[in-house]
Amino acid sequence: MAQLVAINPQLHQHLRLQPANAGRHSEDTQLMPVVPAEFASMATQAPIVLTKNGQTGQFVAVALLGFAPGENLFYSDNAWQGDYLPLQLQRQPFFLGQAEAAETPTNTSTAPNNKEDYVLCIDSDSPTICQPTSIDDTRYEQLFTETGADSRYFQQAKSCLAELLRGEQQQQQLVQALLSYDLIQPLSLDIVFDNEQSTRLNGLYTIDQQKLAALAPDKLVELHQAGWLLPIYTLIASTAQIYPLIARKNRRLAKC
Amino acid sequence: MTGMHRSVFLPEQTADGQGLRFAASPVFSCIDMVTNVIKQPPQHDQATPITQQTATAPIRTVVIVGGGNAGWLTAGRIAAKHKSNQPDGVKVILIESPTLPPIGVGEGTWPTMRSTLIALGISETDFIRQCDVTFKQGAKFAQWVDGSSSDFYYHPLVLPQGFGKAEMAGYWQQSTATANNTSCNTSSFSNALCYQEALCEHGLAPKTIRHAEFGAVANYAYHLDSGKFGPFLRQHCIEKLGVTHILDDVVAVQSSSNGDIAAVNTKQSGVIAGDLFVDCSGFSSLLLGKHYQVPFKACDDILFIDTALAVQVPYEHPDTPIASHTISTAQDAGWIWDIGLQHRRGVGYVYASKYCTEAQARATLARYVGPAIADLSVRKIPIVSGHRTRFWQNNCVAVGLAAGFLEPLEASALVLVELSAQMISEQLPANRALMDIVAKRFNETFLYRWDKIIDFLKLHYLLSQREEPFWRDNRNPATIPQSLQDLLQLWRYRAPGDLDFTSNNEVFPAASYQYVLYGMGFKTDYSQSHYLLDNPEFAAQQFAQNQKMIAQALSILPSNRELISKIREFGLSQL
Repeated sequence: MAQLVAINPQLHQHLRLQPANAGRHSEDTQLMPVVPAEFASMATQAPIVLTKNGQTGQFVAVALLGFAPGENLFYSDNAWQGDYLPLQLQRQPFFLGQAEAAETPTNTSTAPNNKEDYVLCIDSDSPTICQPTSIDDTRYEQLFTETGADSRYFQQAKSCLAELLRGEQQQQQLVQALLSYDLIQPLSLDIVFDNEQSTRLNGLYTIDQQKLAALAPDKLVELHQAGWLLPIYTLIASTAQIYPLIARKNRRLAKC
Repeated sequence: MTGMHRSVFLPEQTADGQGLRFAASPVFSCIDMVTNVIKQPPQHDQATPITQQTATAPIRTVVIVGGGNAGWLTAGRIAAKHKSNQPDGVKVILIESPTLPPIGVGEGTWPTMRSTLIALGISETDFIRQCDVTFKQGAKFAQWVDGSSSDFYYHPLVLPQGFGKAEMAGYWQQSTATANNTSCNTSSFSNALCYQEALCEHGLAPKTIRHAEFGAVANYAYHLDSGKFGPFLRQHCIEKLGVTHILDDVVAVQSSSNGDIAAVNTKQSGVIAGDLFVDCSGFSSLLLGKHYQVPFKACDDILFIDTALAVQVPYEHPDTPIASHTISTAQDAGWIWDIGLQHRRGVGYVYASKYCTEAQARATLARYVGPAIADLSVRKIPIVSGHRTRFWQNNCVAVGLAAGFLEPLEASALVLVELSAQMISEQLPANRALMDIVAKRFNETFLYRWDKIIDFLKLHYLLSQREEPFWRDNRNPATIPQSLQDLLQLWRYRAPGDLDFTSNNEVFPAASYQYVLYGMGFKTDYSQSHYLLDNPEFAAQQFAQNQKMIAQALSILPSNRELISKIREFGLSQL
């Protein structure tokens, strides 16, 4: 569970971070939220599907990384093994919190988009934060320069968060569009692995290709003008990544 | 206007207390409608045959009299199916009285309401947000057997595990005979064979926020604010389904020579003609009762309750848990209903005035509600148990209270409205010539349903061991319908089965009878039919499967309150 603390130049002046450890946050992530801007990159390695957020019931786009809760087939040897690192991992250990989510809501940096209701926080339990014992490691980043200004690393982290925030809004707009054009359909997967073990995946959704193909020309133009055709077709194309994902699972089973 | 008879009825009172004033209608401008009133019952014996032209003319206009839940549900059901929002659809006109408020007591539904809402094209999220709706997963009957504090049983909405595959009631009886008596609640019939009782006891919802609208883990119905449901349906029917709404009082009926209703006269909106008239005018039964004089068949000799005292009880805190079921607690001269909505509970004592004075009943209700009742207003509602002897007469059919009413045990009011509206809509005759056939079938169907509902309600009183006079008299064989006595005799040697009932769409199926019978301690004697219980392994699997389903459901389902809050905040998805 992430322990969010509002970032404070005094408190965090000497904090040392190892961004390369960001991937460790995905150790038990079966479904990784992705935003439309990274669909094309993510689609090169994993299926992108829709599922419902357990807290809100709202559809979200996620990369399918495993076949059981807590299983991430892209994670091994304490690291993310994919070629593309999703924004959700790139952003680690930084979060935008509502004021009450942070421990010290006063004297904080504001979010890059200057929305005052967001507070920039750091996950103090993140494996990207160097422990005092490993301080001799020279490959680390800091948030602030000697003069107290934002470091280059911190600037990049902020712009990553800004991209993610924009992306999440786009993702919601995409879902709204898919719902209003009635283009979502349940995806039910029955899979038998090499060891004869079988599994059924429920609660996943994808694009209804028949309804997409049957859309009236004017509706199709609307989708195109809104910029949704590319993410829609990327979603469709990415589902074929289910086969490489099954292969990953079979390789892992063979090792056991 | 030749060939038309008119009968006029007068509403009991008008809002301004000055009696009726009739606006001269543009169609009947030559007739002084106040002075020219002739009370003339329809003359069926002299009815002239329908002309060929009238007989084959299609049913184009349905006029619904009454704007309560019955009126709007019927209007919506017909308008949705017969495309009233399209030029070639059937026209549906609903006349709602601006002066007579709906009774609005039905706050419990059946799972059928889900299919009704779907048929009307209503979003479940909107319905839940706007009608103070919560999820209902059955009824808990407390203190009906012996009145002790540990005395309760459930009538859930999910079939008993293994129902129809084996004599599970018999196996269950065997298991209780050998089980330790201290575990009696966990081994009750409903808890041993239905996982839903555990959900209710834990106050859980039947689904999660990830479920689609109308989808579920466990079958469910609703509790709703009746006073909000009507206006909600009205808006949907007018804006989406193309129902024409007229806010006016009906003051007279115009008859055709064959006894049909040709039109109704309104106070200010003139004459409204139609091909089919639906009487949803509530207790006053304007068309079927007052105009056609169809007799009312009382059943107070079977069901004694004749009065309700209703009160709305606010929750102590905004996050007070919401019960997942209707709670019905037996009292000395009746029973108290307790229905949890989002912002308040609806509580009411229904009792038989022969056994209890109003003051005593108020004291009983006050004891149940607690000190909070001091600041609340208690509404008294008469209950005249019974129904019309026909529901469809000529071109007029009654739905809701205009057709009949029973004590609110098992929430039969709204479901009868839904079933009536569905049958009228789906079997709407193509023309007048076919209407008599539909009417006959409708009457047969609903007379059967009323009889069966009366039987089933009576069943709740038969197996009680309570000793108050109300309860003792309820067990007097002279008050028990023969049909129910016959079934009880059969069930002494075998459990209720689907073939005990003849309808293919039985209101209360055999499973419901099983829940009440075995919940109340009824014993079926299998000593002459041991062979029916020769597969204890299968039975053990069923009991184990039920326990497994309880564990699964408890691990994934949120509380009723939590799910309702989430639906208010995020909404349910359409898929």
